[in-house]
Amino acid sequence: MPSAEPTPPEAARWAARAGLPLPADRHAAVAATAQHIHSVVAVLRELDFADTPPATAYRAEQETHDAAV
Amino acid sequence: MQPYELTLGAAAEAVRTRRLSPVELVDSVLERIGRTEPRLHAYVTVTAERARRAARAAEDDIAAGRHHGPLHGVPMGLKDLIDVAGIATSASSRVRADHRAEASSTVAGRLEAAGAVLVGKTHTHEFAYGLTTPQTRNAWHTGRVAGGSSGGSAVAVAAGTATFALGTDTGGSIRVPAALNGVVGLKPTYGLVPRHGVTSLSWSLDHVGPITRTVEDAALVLAALAGHDPRDPASLTAPATGYRPPTGTDLTGLRVGVPRNYYFDHVDPEVETAVRAAVDEFEALGARLVEVEIPMTRYIQATQWGLMVPEATAYHERTLRTVPELYRGDVRVLLEAGELMPAGDYLRAQRSRTLMRREWAAVLREVDLIAAPTVPATAVEAGQETITWADGTTEAVSDAYVRLSSPANITGVPSLSLPVGHDTTGLPIGMQLLGRPLGERVLLRVGHAYEQTRPARKLAPAA
Repeated sequence: MPSAEPTPPEAARWAARAGLPLPADRHAAVAATAQHIHSVVAVLRELDFADTPPATAYRAEQETHDAAV
Repeated sequence: MQPYELTLGAAAEAVRTRRLSPVELVDSVLERIGRTEPRLHAYVTVTAERARRAARAAEDDIAAGRHHGPLHGVPMGLKDLIDVAGIATSASSRVRADHRAEASSTVAGRLEAAGAVLVGKTHTHEFAYGLTTPQTRNAWHTGRVAGGSSGGSAVAVAAGTATFALGTDTGGSIRVPAALNGVVGLKPTYGLVPRHGVTSLSWSLDHVGPITRTVEDAALVLAALAGHDPRDPASLTAPATGYRPPTGTDLTGLRVGVPRNYYFDHVDPEVETAVRAAVDEFEALGARLVEVEIPMTRYIQATQWGLMVPEATAYHERTLRTVPELYRGDVRVLLEAGELMPAGDYLRAQRSRTLMRREWAAVLREVDLIAAPTVPATAVEAGQETITWADGTTEAVSDAYVRLSSPANITGVPSLSLPVGHDTTGLPIGMQLLGRPLGERVLLRVGHAYEQTRPARKLAPAA
């Protein structure tokens, strides 16, 4: 997806599809912020996750049990 | 020295030995609030009458031999995302104008049981979704940002208007304002401190923890907060442990990781110098310094945003549709744009977190902790939007402030921020110590050892 997306009309359509009707005066600002967010998170597409499961719920301590020194 | 100037440890000892009554201590802090709040604006609400009643009750209990421990009769501020029964949790937002908490959060309940006295609710960047807390002024220079989102809590502790406070931390919101105001902030291991009754920004990244004047004080508060609560689905079942650090300063045998990448890139030279000097002090105390490579740095911001943005938008789903005009502009547009993020981006961030946790665990098998700057710059001027680095690149202030703190939110590892000096304009510099999951005791021990080598810190001058 080119980084110029979403355009303001696309932002309005996508938001409406998500159940959030945006007034016309919000389209440009929301599109600009959505473009920026997209440019930040898009780098995750470079990663080859193979069988890696998502950490939807996790226990921070499960990796190590020898925290005490 | 006035009672409001005392550290929690010193106040607790004075109260325990009945050299200071909780009434005197609370009155001193309330009087201090009256003098400094017109300039600092750390508090949303000051609960003076409630605090005086609680102080009298604490005094009576202690006189009758019912001493509840080091927090008994000690004045505290709670970030205004933390529910206290009968009081509004405003989240520093007009969206919560008519709010009133029906019940207390787990942490407020535990602190009340420990005898701590609530003096007020402190300002947050609206719903914790930002790094500056624009309502509040920095305690060292009122023209500078407080940092955020727990800006009110950090300023209150720095200014002597709370003996300790609680903050929340989703990308750095305890540690960033702690560093910018010259106080101590601890983001505990994910799940160690229950979040039931605390307004969420992002469930899988949110933490609650103490903001204090010393590392020892942070240990005293953590001991009252930690422990399982099944009402927080992330709450750990780890057995209770003591956190109070030993008095010695010997760090022989401890391996301190010093990052060779990421944590010293695009960092103000004065911040780097102060942090490296503190690291050298660890070596002088017997620790062994070990260079470490921080993994997956290219994906830190993407992972943080991929998790936080859709979770924050989900939390605000209803009010974003009913009262969007009540949010401040910066928060509203982030919540709205979050509606546009595909589920695939969120899942990639979740899977990236799995990889990042594994790789951090491997690094933390080689060292006992990692030492690094908390934030890459000291407090910027209020209203400043970008920082320009020596190589000519610019970075949004909020991106810069969260850059070094968010890895601990993604991985869930504990991080302790403590003051390590000042820049040439007198603004505080913070260092963070990152540990293994449930490695708080190590961080507190090292931080306390360092503090014992330095002169006792004074309250912030702008107060």
